Amino acid sequence: MFKNVLIIFSFMAFLSGFSIPSKVTKKADKAISKFYETSNFTKQNILVSELLNTKTSSDFSQGRLFKISSEDTFLGYGYLGNAPSKTATYDYLILFDENFVITKSKVLIYREEYGGEISSTRWLKQFTGTVIGEDTLVYNDDIIPISGATISVQSMTLAINNLLSSLQQLQKQNAL
Amino acid sequence: MVSFVSAQTQRDSITFDPQKQLNAAQSILSGNFGKKVTLGGYGEITYNQPEALNGELDVQRLVLLVGYKFNDKAQFVTEIEFEHVEEVYVEQAFVNYSIGDNTSLRGGLMLVPMGIVNEYHEPTTFNGTERPSIDNVIVPTTWREIGVGVTGRFPEISLGYQAYVFNGFKSTTPDGEGGVNGVLKGSNALRGGRQKAIRSTIDSPTLSFKADYYGLPGLRLGLSGYFGSTQAADEIETLEGANIGISMVGLDARYAFKRFTARGQFIYASISGSQQYNALTGRDLGSAIQGFYVEGGYNLLSLRAKQRLIAFARYENYDTHAATQGDLQPNDAFNRTDITAGVSYHIASGVVLKGDYQFRNNKSDAKVANRANFGIGVWF
Repeated sequence: MFKNVLIIFSFMAFLSGFSIPSKVTKKADKAISKFYETSNFTKQNILVSELLNTKTSSDFSQGRLFKISSEDTFLGYGYLGNAPSKTATYDYLILFDENFVITKSKVLIYREEYGGEISSTRWLKQFTGTVIGEDTLVYNDDIIPISGATISVQSMTLAINNLLSSLQQLQKQNAL
Repeated sequence: MVSFVSAQTQRDSITFDPQKQLNAAQSILSGNFGKKVTLGGYGEITYNQPEALNGELDVQRLVLLVGYKFNDKAQFVTEIEFEHVEEVYVEQAFVNYSIGDNTSLRGGLMLVPMGIVNEYHEPTTFNGTERPSIDNVIVPTTWREIGVGVTGRFPEISLGYQAYVFNGFKSTTPDGEGGVNGVLKGSNALRGGRQKAIRSTIDSPTLSFKADYYGLPGLRLGLSGYFGSTQAADEIETLEGANIGISMVGLDARYAFKRFTARGQFIYASISGSQQYNALTGRDLGSAIQGFYVEGGYNLLSLRAKQRLIAFARYENYDTHAATQGDLQPNDAFNRTDITAGVSYHIASGVVLKGDYQFRNNKSDAKVANRANFGIGVWF
């Protein structure tokens, strides 16, 4: 019985895994490789049950949350997210260290004509160092706005806040 | 927990899920990626009350935005505008074709990127019931023409760019009796010359660019340029003075830090051939126009509040006779200073109530009435 459930789970996870376009994962791999300065790394997916996934505001379907290791060394965690801009969505990557402190955030693909300023490396740096369990980031207070990109800036801030609280939920459920 | 090495995956087929597509109204309104159709709009309802004169109530603008995403690369964007309820314009209508993650080609009817407000003119994005006067008299907002170009950004250095070839202004029209009418005049320079893509005449293309730097936290800097000649019709283009040349440059800055916001803009344009143009048409067009404004705002509500109540003040100086050619003496009435102070009350993200008072002065003895303005603005 348990085996069957496991198979169903895996199959569902496999299906939902189709939500990440290969172009996005390729770009994520490139960014990970650059950040850790190694092309020799593996990503190991952290599987979150369907039930738990529906309870978290961030999407943890298959392939979105993973451990990164190089040979036998554990490097950190990664999360591949998708969030809305005004009329489209963009894909982003968040890297964490072993204690889930943000070490890098990057916008992988930004599709809309407006608001692409959030891809700015320098702007994204302000998320670095943010820790799970701390206060939520407040737009305009903790997070500096960008004129002409208000909607995207707010979206990215919300996405990170949701991710941090969702990861905290997973931690409490011992799902990490 | 079970875990395994991720497989490279293809784009999902969720957008083609008929169950999702049944939920049409929601999907259109949410406008999310993959749902193809985007609906949006903005509008301003204004009340101007000059001292000692009758006021004016107006639905100044109501603009409906419709976008359609054909695929990941190709998108069509259009804005259909009603001005003062009865005048209909197409304000934008262009195809955006993405040729890379950070680069797109564009063609159609587009906004000329000059200063701040011509591109960002939704009422919730600027303080004051009326747009800054510079963005009316010096930059003729909403300034749009048909053209083609490229737009993109370099995320590593926080730099965005736009470069276009546009159709230009028109300075003269045939009067039907072998002569011409001049459509550009001293008080608002280029404003009367916008062709707005209405069966517009093209003779020589004009060039437009803008670079935006947003790498310093909270600050955004813009440098714009526009260069070219006006486009007289065939039967009058050989007349001396039928066309003029325009070289316009603009600098703008926007800054935000917590509750404080500030912005400023400087625009200068030199106009060549104004002497011949004035001789031909009897107009009083200057040979240089320029203006600047600085504005500061402070949010009186907590940053954690959902609403924002911004008190602001703006100082503007603009002169459409910054220089004149030939016998034309600069008209001091065109050297104007406006001081605007008021509040923008954002009762929800996308809905703003505005109230302000404008002190309007110029260097001549001709007085322009000060006025109070109130407005309701929405953007969704």
